Amino acid sequence: MSERSRNIASVAFIAVMAVALILITSTRPATVDRVEQIGTRIKCPVCQGESIANSPSQMAEDMMDLVAERVSAGVPDQEIVDELLGSYTGAVLLDPPASGATLVLWLTPLAVMVLGIAVILWWRRHPGSGEAGEPASPGRSRTRLAIGGVVLVLAFASIVVVAANSLQDRPAAAAGAAAIDEQDLSEVSNETMEAVIAANADDPQVNGMRLALAERYFDAGDYRSAFPHYLVVAEDPNATDAQAITSLVRLGWMAYAGNGEVETATRLIDEALAIDSESSVARYVRARVVWCGTGDTQQAIETFDDLLADPDVATETRAQIEADLELARGGRECP
Amino acid sequence: MLAILGSAGVIAALIGSILLVSRGIRLARGGEGDLRAPGKLVLAGAVISMVAMQVALLADDFSLAYVANHHSSNTPFPFDVATAWAALEGSIILWGLVLAVFTWVVARRAPDRLGSATVAVMGGVGVFFFGLMLTVANPFEVCVDALATGCAASSAWPFNPVDAPVNGPGPNPLLQNHFLMAVHPPVLYIGYVGLTVPFAYAIGALALGVPGPEWLRRSHRSTLVAWSFLTLGITLGGWWAYEVLSWGGYWAWDPVENASLMPWLAATAFIHSGLVQQRRGMLQAWNFVLVISAFALTILGTFLTRSGTINSVHSFTQSAIGPALLGFLVLVLVGSFTLFAMRSHLVATSPRIGTFVSREGTFLVNNLLLTVYAFVVLIGTTYPLLLEAFTGTQVGVGEPFFNRLAVPLSFMLLLTMGFGPVTPWGGAPPGLLWRRLRWPTMIALGLGLVVALTVTRVAWVILAIVLGVFVAAAILGLLLELARARTAKTENSVYQEARTVIGNDQAFWAGQLSHIGVVLVAIGIAFAANLPLHSEAELTPGESVEFAGYTLTYDAPFRRDEPNRVVQGARVEVSRDDRIITVLEPSANFYDTEMGGIITPAVMSRPGGDIYLTLRSLDDETVQLGLDTSPMIWLLWLGGLTTAAGGFWSLAVRRQGRVVEEPRVLADV
Repeated sequence: MSERSRNIASVAFIAVMAVALILITSTRPATVDRVEQIGTRIKCPVCQGESIANSPSQMAEDMMDLVAERVSAGVPDQEIVDELLGSYTGAVLLDPPASGATLVLWLTPLAVMVLGIAVILWWRRHPGSGEAGEPASPGRSRTRLAIGGVVLVLAFASIVVVAANSLQDRPAAAAGAAAIDEQDLSEVSNETMEAVIAANADDPQVNGMRLALAERYFDAGDYRSAFPHYLVVAEDPNATDAQAITSLVRLGWMAYAGNGEVETATRLIDEALAIDSESSVARYVRARVVWCGTGDTQQAIETFDDLLADPDVATETRAQIEADLELARGGRECP
Repeated sequence: MLAILGSAGVIAALIGSILLVSRGIRLARGGEGDLRAPGKLVLAGAVISMVAMQVALLADDFSLAYVANHHSSNTPFPFDVATAWAALEGSIILWGLVLAVFTWVVARRAPDRLGSATVAVMGGVGVFFFGLMLTVANPFEVCVDALATGCAASSAWPFNPVDAPVNGPGPNPLLQNHFLMAVHPPVLYIGYVGLTVPFAYAIGALALGVPGPEWLRRSHRSTLVAWSFLTLGITLGGWWAYEVLSWGGYWAWDPVENASLMPWLAATAFIHSGLVQQRRGMLQAWNFVLVISAFALTILGTFLTRSGTINSVHSFTQSAIGPALLGFLVLVLVGSFTLFAMRSHLVATSPRIGTFVSREGTFLVNNLLLTVYAFVVLIGTTYPLLLEAFTGTQVGVGEPFFNRLAVPLSFMLLLTMGFGPVTPWGGAPPGLLWRRLRWPTMIALGLGLVVALTVTRVAWVILAIVLGVFVAAAILGLLLELARARTAKTENSVYQEARTVIGNDQAFWAGQLSHIGVVLVAIGIAFAANLPLHSEAELTPGESVEFAGYTLTYDAPFRRDEPNRVVQGARVEVSRDDRIITVLEPSANFYDTEMGGIITPAVMSRPGGDIYLTLRSLDDETVQLGLDTSPMIWLLWLGGLTTAAGGFWSLAVRRQGRVVEEPRVLADV
């Protein structure tokens, strides 16, 4: 075969192959995993920069389940995305649209590409005079200075902007803590609170939220999760007296109810009483621990009586104390 | 005691750095002075500080606040060693140590003017980092107010009365979950810090007004060291994420990952454009821009990840170090570009490029693509910050954005990689490219068709295979062509001659090995990203589920008490054709400091890909498992390692004294 016919054969082969590949790949039935695809477009509200498709957190899993449900119900992508963004605070679209504030994101890479091509082509038409290895030709310094200046100004401007942002005392996360602190925490998920607390671990302001979260765990019986938060508040010299007392009393109760350590429990609650000897919560819980832990009914009855005589004790607590008192008087074991 | 020793080390390194700056400047101006002694002082100081920290960690000396807050007496080996760089202050010790080694190496052999100026610049960088260690990020503060576990208040004055806790909370659980975390940071840091050397040479050359190729020649080795370690570090980081973070991924365009990718892209562009200057005298100015950018990007990356400005899965620390790093970044950018502008009249204007169908032409295209690539990563990472600073508007930029731009750019780079190596410097004679690329094109398309008919018809995968095979076949075809040309003159076999061809120009072929590594990475990513299977299963003990051709049988739950954690999980037997292949243990690892368990995947690797099990929930009766496959993912690890290996190979060549600065292989074609 001559060189020429070999070439023709090669070109023909390449053309046929290319067309065949394009046809084959383009006739593939669409099997895109829409759930996964939508998942990568939404930021997980309780994580740090992860999409809900990538996050192992419970909330992300719930959101992915919702996406799967909507996809199988035939809801269009955009509606699912809108629903997620609407119903989860903190969920952010990770797929910036090519419009509005994020248009810049799409345009600037294109601009850099176009500019680069233009510079290369311009350079081809207006090359320098220097040959390889030849020392510098001292022309054009003004143009170069101008370019250098522009680069400098751009670099500097962007730095200043970032600086302005980061020099504000403790940005985003701290602001978040303060903001959430003031609002109704009942709407906020455990994971969100964990995230905010973790981000502001050193900030005494976060103690309020820490305590709220710990109370939530405590109420749910999850002592393991509640424990470290109470501990931090109890040991924080910046915590308010009320916060410290609550933490110490809870720690004491958990020491008794979780591990049966009566001595540790009374010691912790005594620390709370050292802060405020009149604290009704501390007195009540201490009495209960003593009663349940040591069977010392007499001491419990005395404390309960005292507490009921105190007008500051809330009605709800009062009812509970009365019920306990009745049991104790009857010589029964603590419930 | 250790606090005093460590602080003394830092102070010694700082003094050494200051001496390097003053003496380096004096020497560069033609004066007299010695750089070796201060170089040794910096190294000794940095080594002492690292040793002090390691001893403190290994001996559970909780009087150091850093140890009290990041170590625990039941942290097992090697994580107790790795705790030294598990948090901000410690990681700066590591940074300082690596910088000290590089500085010492340059100072040791550098009495001429360019070398002295370079050492002065490196000393300046050292002053900043050792200064950080004495001020805002002091790793040797002593604990003066102990908590039950941890330290509430600390003092930089090492003679203060110490109040040491009996134990600490231990490092972040994610960091003690896998041995890769012990090696990934040091490797990455060698990469980051190594880029200081070419930067220092560039600044030195500009300051002295000698912008010729000398600085490139002398910094080339360090650039290769930095690049190779950066490549290795990024690969290990992806591997770690895959093994630990339990979502089955290896790359999420997280700001910390981006922080390592940006300098890598700039350094890759620089390695190529540096060759163009050495070979053709072009791109002098561009090389300065690239090397300054690469260094600035490492500082920017450190700022992004260590200041807590961007919250990401990697931001384990938040501190007041942000303003310091930002100030340094501004100084580097403004200082470097001002100097560059002042010296720009000395920088040679480039000679005319004859034709784009030449090696230098393909390198121009490669540089354009890599620059745009780096810019995409830069703007995607920083734009949300900038926008929030300007307007308060919060936007998210994640995977979809990066993938949409990075995937086409990557494919274009692959295509360029096929053309570059077979195109001679100065321009290709007519018909040469066709002769050299005809077969690679046909083989690539043919193989693509075979895969499309047998394995998958997903367009991205086919495209990756076609382009990847094209690149690999072009490289091998070139080797074959050159070897054959030699066999005409000798009696040797093609194989023997191929070895000779490689031996004669190892630096070039080392580069081609890196290219083949990149091809493997591309194909691995295409498979793993496009063809994974996903399923979920709820099983009771004894129950089985079929997944990806395997039978998974839930054996029983298990619980293991380890010194630093409690591992709870499910034992799952993997079998095929009634033969048990392995037992996997997806688990949740409970650490004292962490609420809830760290979900840790169990992975079974097979030539076709991995089976990846994650624990969703576990109670007495049932287990819920996430089941995933990662097809061909080992190609990704192998490719990353191969790419780095190419870099190390070309370093080894230089060490043997066979200085091959640029591919010469085609000069005589």
